[in-house]
Amino acid sequence: MNKISIPIGPHHPLLKEPLSMNIEITGEKVLGGSLRLGYVHRGIEKMATQRTYVQDVHLIERICGICSHIHTTTFCNAVETLLGIEVPPRGLYIRALMCELERVHSHLLWLGILAKHVGLDTVFMHAWHDRELVLDIMEGISGGRVSHAANQIGGVRFDISDKQAEMINVNLVKLKQQVSGVLDVIENEPALQARTQGVAPVSAELIKDYCVVGPVARASGVDVDMRRDDPWSPYDKLDVKVITRPEGDAWARTLIRVLETRESLRLCKILVEDMPDGPVSVWASRKVPEGEVVTRSEAPRGEVVYYVRSDGSDKPARLKVRTPTLPVLSLLPVQLSAIHVADIPVVLAGIDLCVACADR
Amino acid sequence: MVNELNLETIIEKIQTETGCDCEAYPNITNDETILIPADQLQMVMAVLRDQFGIYHLSTITAQERDIEADQSAIELIYHFFYLNQPGDGRGISLMVRLPLDKPNIASIISHLPGADFYEREVAEMFGVSFTGREATPKLLLPDEWEHGPPFISSEVSDE
Amino acid sequence: MIRSLFILFLFPGLGFQILCGLAFEWMDRKLLARFQRRVGPPWYQPLADLIKLFSKEDLLPESASGLFEMLLPLLSMSAVLTAGLYIPIAGFTSFSFEGDLIVIQFLMSVPTLAYYLAGIASVGIYSIIGGGRSILQYLSYEVPLLITISGPAVMAGSWSVAEISQAQATMGPFVIFQPLGLILAIIGLIGKLKRDPLDIPSASSEVVGGSLTEFSGTKLGFWYLVMDIQAVVGIFLLVNLYFGWSDFSLPLLGIGIFIFLCLLMVVILSGTSAIFARLRIDQLAGLGWKILVPLSLLQLGFVILMGV
Repeated sequence: MNKISIPIGPHHPLLKEPLSMNIEITGEKVLGGSLRLGYVHRGIEKMATQRTYVQDVHLIERICGICSHIHTTTFCNAVETLLGIEVPPRGLYIRALMCELERVHSHLLWLGILAKHVGLDTVFMHAWHDRELVLDIMEGISGGRVSHAANQIGGVRFDISDKQAEMINVNLVKLKQQVSGVLDVIENEPALQARTQGVAPVSAELIKDYCVVGPVARASGVDVDMRRDDPWSPYDKLDVKVITRPEGDAWARTLIRVLETRESLRLCKILVEDMPDGPVSVWASRKVPEGEVVTRSEAPRGEVVYYVRSDGSDKPARLKVRTPTLPVLSLLPVQLSAIHVADIPVVLAGIDLCVACADR
Repeated sequence: MVNELNLETIIEKIQTETGCDCEAYPNITNDETILIPADQLQMVMAVLRDQFGIYHLSTITAQERDIEADQSAIELIYHFFYLNQPGDGRGISLMVRLPLDKPNIASIISHLPGADFYEREVAEMFGVSFTGREATPKLLLPDEWEHGPPFISSEVSDE
Repeated sequence: MIRSLFILFLFPGLGFQILCGLAFEWMDRKLLARFQRRVGPPWYQPLADLIKLFSKEDLLPESASGLFEMLLPLLSMSAVLTAGLYIPIAGFTSFSFEGDLIVIQFLMSVPTLAYYLAGIASVGIYSIIGGGRSILQYLSYEVPLLITISGPAVMAGSWSVAEISQAQATMGPFVIFQPLGLILAIIGLIGKLKRDPLDIPSASSEVVGGSLTEFSGTKLGFWYLVMDIQAVVGIFLLVNLYFGWSDFSLPLLGIGIFIFLCLLMVVILSGTSAIFARLRIDQLAGLGWKILVPLSLLQLGFVILMGV
């Protein structure tokens, strides 16, 4: 059979964001593929050096739509370390609450996309219907559904009143009930298992060679999670259960995110209940003393690394962002060899792409 | 495998295994950094991997920095992350400095395929050339980009 | 003469089929939406979509064959409309002859062939892959479908749909004797209509639009009409083969039962669409040959034994 090259992207129903792939197939078997990034490259790292730290918090929130809060959190953690200030505990709890809510939001969104690609349109609609509850909670406390602007250097921008805390609790209970229906379907649906089991298995050695992080790494048995392994308060007090699976195929990647959603909902409840009283932020000076710092966090897709260097002025001398989708994308051409054409959507969904993150 | 991860132990081991000239660079908070000569990079990485089990490369940061009074260099920081045990993770970095007029360094992708994307980004943004790899195609910039490395070139600005 | 014109263009020909096709599309979309906790489109949506499509620009790739692409949907439409003429609607038989069941099956396969040719004629990579998949799918569901619908023919002792339908007035609805046959026939119909879970040729996440990727405007409008009418004709066929038509004392009762059975079929088709995930082409081939064919042979064997 002849070799044909299918272009996927930059515009394709499979992709939420532009990415260009050329996949070579013969018949229904995929031989391999090549990747081209850069369609959403905005030059954020360079722009950040030309804006003050306060402006940069807003700039960095726009690196990605789904994991916006975790980016600003990591950046604020870095700058606060350089400034030598400590965010009060209540502020840290609110930050962590928004992080976990964002994780739930991200996984529900991913779940809908996976279901749509496999043909389970009904699950897609139900998952995104439940996602609206999370967005309602986030809007209730921060004023924005997707762009929250929750962080500022020194703490968070808003406080949670008792009435809002009650609203969060009520919505969390509702969410847990509704989401368990969808999650149970995913865990037990035989058609989905048939489509994902044994597809594109990745060994732990390959994960280590390509420095992959996040749920993709945990699905191959590599036990790493920044919430447990490089925690910032209050994660060091929370007992985060890190879920790994040994199989490394698309089914393992699916199951891990489902279980992580349940775990995040549990953490949200604890964070709201145990929230200490007090102020939510401290004053931070505009000029940051000289220094360099590296901070890490666990975004919904894996390890986020920020390197910030300050030269004593109010603008950073260097900002380096490494988002989790980048190493996962470097593994993609390897995953694309020796699968069926019909498995391409399953593989892409299992990676949970966030191209805006990778391109910056 | 050495259980107790200590910067002095690591530097000692590197010096005994490779005989290279390395010193601690104390200025980076949260990451223990070792400054090494550029040509010893692969050997030091081998020591880290074989003796200490440090293999996960988080990223490669590049920046232009004034080292002394009027001398600038391109600094590459290879950030590694090491998991001592679940719950105890540390950052370890290797720092190399390259002269501005000839920023060449050996590529590490034959040992660590995951470094490919990071090297490509450093190459296109800072003009560093990685020897020992077939090609260094552009990662984020368009193929027709003519203005030189954005972080070094003065042609590129906010307007 | 007047009678023939009436049948061809109004009832149960062109006008009636188009009306039923649009009604079917609306019911299907509305049911699917309600299953998915959405509101769904208003009753005039399929008609509005059709009018909008007919008024849009007709674009084609340079190397695609415009003539072919115009002919294929028209050919499919005339095939399914002709097939519909031989199926009694609530007891009203327009045309009928011995063996028209086979002819109907042949005519209903024309759209599949046209779909494949449309993919080749469109030249784009997604179209070619989609077209190829539709032929692979055809090979998996057509054989069990043919074997299954031979069951009612054997039982009634005739290959004419009208006579099979009339035979059930005395023998009772065939579904009582061949429940497995009905289930297999519905699965075959889902494959023929390329609906979820067997919409592999037009799986949007893999091949964008399948054969129809490059179609737009009037031609695409005709294709959608073809798919709707094909569904309606398929439903009428199954209702006639498995439930038949009895002459009740109240004619309205018979018509009511017929309409009810058709609606039941629509609900079953929409329900399976909402519940199941899409199969992969190799899984479909396995399903077709390892499960559906043996079951359909079993059902046919049972029918033959009963008649003996």
